[in-house]
Amino acid sequence: MPKVEHTLHGDRKVFTVSSFNRGIGMHLGRLPPVWVEGEVTELRRNDAWANVFLTLKDPKTGACLSVTIARRTYDRLELDLTEGETVHVAGRAEIYELKGELGLRATTIERIGLGDQLVALEQLKRKLAAEGLFAPDRKRKLPRVPRAVGILTGADAAARGDLVATIGARFPATTLVVHEARVQGKGAARAIVVAIAELTSRTDVDVVVLARGGGSFEDLLPFSDEAVVRAVAASRVPVVSAVGHEQDTPLCDLAADVRAATPTAAGALVVPDLRDLESALGATRRRLGLALRSQVDRDRNRLGRQGERLRAAPRLLLERRRAALDRSGARLETLSPLATLGRGYAIVRAGGGVLRAADQARPGDLIDVQLAAGSLDATVREVHAK
Amino acid sequence: MSEQRSFEELQRELEEIVTRLERGDVPVDDAIALFCQGETLYKECVARLQGAELQIEELVPREPGM
Repeated sequence: MPKVEHTLHGDRKVFTVSSFNRGIGMHLGRLPPVWVEGEVTELRRNDAWANVFLTLKDPKTGACLSVTIARRTYDRLELDLTEGETVHVAGRAEIYELKGELGLRATTIERIGLGDQLVALEQLKRKLAAEGLFAPDRKRKLPRVPRAVGILTGADAAARGDLVATIGARFPATTLVVHEARVQGKGAARAIVVAIAELTSRTDVDVVVLARGGGSFEDLLPFSDEAVVRAVAASRVPVVSAVGHEQDTPLCDLAADVRAATPTAAGALVVPDLRDLESALGATRRRLGLALRSQVDRDRNRLGRQGERLRAAPRLLLERRRAALDRSGARLETLSPLATLGRGYAIVRAGGGVLRAADQARPGDLIDVQLAAGSLDATVREVHAK
Repeated sequence: MSEQRSFEELQRELEEIVTRLERGDVPVDDAIALFCQGETLYKECVARLQGAELQIEELVPREPGM
């Protein structure tokens, strides 16, 4: 390494820029290796380059630090870093002599944000699950025909547009109450909680949809925030969670009453199809008409039968009387002496009375013999009294 | 009267009326009254569905710095 040389102008020591930078570099080189935490930005990697460059950013203040790491070292780590991830970088301070820029010469990089956040998320999930916030028996049924649908959305035109289009096409006879809120980054969780409270304070809102398109793990984190998850679970009306993509499961998905894979799917869940509803109504009305008609028919038939019975009543009475009369006649007939005469008997009368014994007559008396057909006038010749 | 009632309530009442009529044990005068009531409910339901345009209301966030 070239020495740090200066020239003398009188008693003044003067360094060249290169010497100065090199001198600072030597001082920096005596500093111990350190770990630095920051967010990855401006990651530049090229197969043709010996080094990989990135800028570490302090998320709180925005302060930046250039990081250089040997490409081979970087590749061996297999980090597959993306912008915005929080990492720990181990290295020493160095100066880029040509530019006089301070940097960090990295020996290794570790991804930290995700790991810690995942652990925290898992703990929160277990805690809330233990409280029963995700229990299936907490899930409420969605209203079939909501008076108004509350929609919480970020400034995310796509998610909002899909939801509005789906609901508008299926069931325009409703009202959408849209609350745009900051859904990612600092303050998002608080904004989401406030938005849920405002949406559910509207008495006509019968269901709330959380509509948030896809995003990175960190972007979706506010939807796993404890306050947000509790607000979803405590909501006055059922909540449909359409947050992130299919593979994402923010905790609000677990606390929501229904989870929708996309905003479009959510739209189809929260409102019925107008045409289905109209045809169902039509069917109900037909049943109404039919029910009345069959009721009237039944009554008319009953009336008809009653009329018939009424008209038939006198004839029945007459017939019954006649039958009774016939029976009396028959009995009378069997008692009549005429019937006896028919069997060959005769009635003998004398002096206006009926003869029951031979000694009631004397020889020479005139007697009248009545037969079944006709009668004889006769004279008694002899009496044989018993 | 029905202005405050939800579509679902109206529809449920209509369904109840139809079910009662279908049981067929309602005196005919009551049946006719029920039918008229059902017709009114049906018309109210249809009126709510037809010609409605999607209303969109924006709630303005109250938090500053949004």
